[in-house]
Amino acid sequence: MKMRRARVVGLMLAGAMVLSACAGDDTADDAGATDDAAADDAADDGAAEGDTFEVYALLPQGNDQPYGTTYLPPFEATAEELGLNLTITNSQYDADTQASDCEVAVAAEPDGIILWPAVADTIRPCLEAADAAGIPVTITNSDVLEEDQALTAGYSGPDTYGQGVASAELMCDLAGGEEVGIIMINGLTGNTTAIDRENGFEETINEQCSNVEILARQPGNWNKDESQIAASEMITSVGIENIDGAYAADDTMVAGVIDAFKARDMAVEDLLITSIGNTFLGNPLVLSGELDGTVFQSSSWDGENAARTIYEVLTESPDERLVAFMPDVKVTADNAEDPAVAPEW
Amino acid sequence: MTESRNDTDSTEAGLDLGSGADLSRWRTVLARRTEGRAVALLVVVATVALVLEPIVFTSYEVTLGRLALIGLVALGLTAVILMGELDLAVASTLAFSGVVMASIDNLALGILAALLGGLVIGVVNAFFVVVVGINSFIATLGMLFFLRGAAFVLSGEEPVRLVAREAGIAFGRPLIGPLSPRILIFVIAVIALQVFVTRVRAGREFYAVGGNRQAAYDAGIPVRRRVYTGFMISGFVSALAGVINTLERTAADPTAGGSVLLASFAAAIIGGVLLNGGRGSIVGTLIGAASLAILQVALTLSGVQVDVQNIVIGLILLIAVITDPTTLRVVLGNARALFRGSSQAQPEPG
Repeated sequence: MKMRRARVVGLMLAGAMVLSACAGDDTADDAGATDDAAADDAADDGAAEGDTFEVYALLPQGNDQPYGTTYLPPFEATAEELGLNLTITNSQYDADTQASDCEVAVAAEPDGIILWPAVADTIRPCLEAADAAGIPVTITNSDVLEEDQALTAGYSGPDTYGQGVASAELMCDLAGGEEVGIIMINGLTGNTTAIDRENGFEETINEQCSNVEILARQPGNWNKDESQIAASEMITSVGIENIDGAYAADDTMVAGVIDAFKARDMAVEDLLITSIGNTFLGNPLVLSGELDGTVFQSSSWDGENAARTIYEVLTESPDERLVAFMPDVKVTADNAEDPAVAPEW
Repeated sequence: MTESRNDTDSTEAGLDLGSGADLSRWRTVLARRTEGRAVALLVVVATVALVLEPIVFTSYEVTLGRLALIGLVALGLTAVILMGELDLAVASTLAFSGVVMASIDNLALGILAALLGGLVIGVVNAFFVVVVGINSFIATLGMLFFLRGAAFVLSGEEPVRLVAREAGIAFGRPLIGPLSPRILIFVIAVIALQVFVTRVRAGREFYAVGGNRQAAYDAGIPVRRRVYTGFMISGFVSALAGVINTLERTAADPTAGGSVLLASFAAAIIGGVLLNGGRGSIVGTLIGAASLAILQVALTLSGVQVDVQNIVIGLILLIAVITDPTTLRVVLGNARALFRGSSQAQPEPG
């Protein structure tokens, strides 16, 4: 009897916890309840202007990544201002989860979908499903494949290929015609941004300064510790004497590379090092002279324009695909203190 | 061991009632079931979802799609866990088989190679467990890393797009009513595995192998062959999930399956499958996966962030483990011993 009672109590406890968790989620969720309220407010405030819109934002990151943490507040603030009622998902770069989130979004029949592809190669079915349901999709941060662009109504975000190009141009300027050997740290393997930046950097190096040779390359997975380990291994395999510099696909990883160089007593100031981001981590490195150049990426611009692009699509129904590229501003010691390129993440 | 425990439970149930043969038989049957907690959870989750997000049920094909996504790998995993073994390589098998499939231009040949690859992976896992004698946790952990690395090498560290992209897109479309091939394949897999572990002798022997391996040896059950069979089922089903994912996404992602391992274990455990083996069922795993699927879809529709979703799933998992009858017995036994010990240790008055 006692055992049976214990089972019943256990089951009741489980039920109570699930119920309370679900109830708690609604109140704790920024993208849910807050935006509901925001939408109501917007509806009240903007009655003269017209509509509020239900919008799903299918993102691969959120508050679990530094970029996402600073992307979301301006995104949500702009959405509130424009009367967009957001439902935000985070697939954590799992393409299958994002595809499933997309199915859920299409079933919910929102006015629009904002998509930040986890893996650009895999989102065609999602775009087709949204298209078939008559739901406009805009892309943020990382564009879809060229052949899929016709299924989307707009793109806003960095030119990820162009960022690699800009970082390579910095490297070419630094090399100045000298024979230079560098190591390369790329982003998460298979990730679209990582691939675009790698291609942009490598193709520009090959075209504009073939005197720069990429001696070895490893993924750093957008992570400082992993890139430090990868850089350390490459220093061992290539040999300190052959390394004149490094390129990392973002500032978080370049900080790891610089630490790896320092750990081997290499004179970091004498090495040619470029990156992308101009983040809170990268900007001080530029000022200290350890990082020679980086490319500014504004997470607030990115988030804000994601909301503005879908709003424009929903209110104006433009005939052509909207494209808003984030300016690729090169940051060196000369302009690192300029307020216009103040780091955001 | 487990069988006898269930028998004891059922006998007690019968004695409690004392009369009514049919009722007693029903109680015996119910006492043998392990899905009670999963059913309770499903009822709670479904009720909450029905109230807060009825679209979970009106767009049932989406929920079923999520169920198939979570559940398919969990089904194969259940076959292994029933024997008291673990297969940590399921997610890597999924990613690897997808890359193998997409790397071959001929779609049919690619699918065949991927599924065959899954079987081979199962055989290798079982070989290390049965012949070499490595703990399945370690053996499949090694396989996890090996396959993940192999997927990256084979794919050139980039997603591999299907040559027959249109065929993949067509595969993702509904086939019967709103049901996509993924859902239909999942239903077939559930039926096939349920029949196997309940109606086929080899499948039923999984319980004996997991319940008491030595007794299974003594009873003449070919334990090694059963372990091979279990790992091959797990490998095959994981590869099947990889094939389906690759077809639906029209590309193979070498990083795929990031959330599969946790979700499939969660589905099995919530469904009442005992990690030590010998107890559990395919139906239980199905119910566990259904609970998770409804929960995830409802939370996603509510805009709940994935971090919070993970907290909820983690809590449910903990509750599922804590409310396991065996765990409860141990906890209650320890509590009784503690109270007895403290009362005995009290000094005699006067």
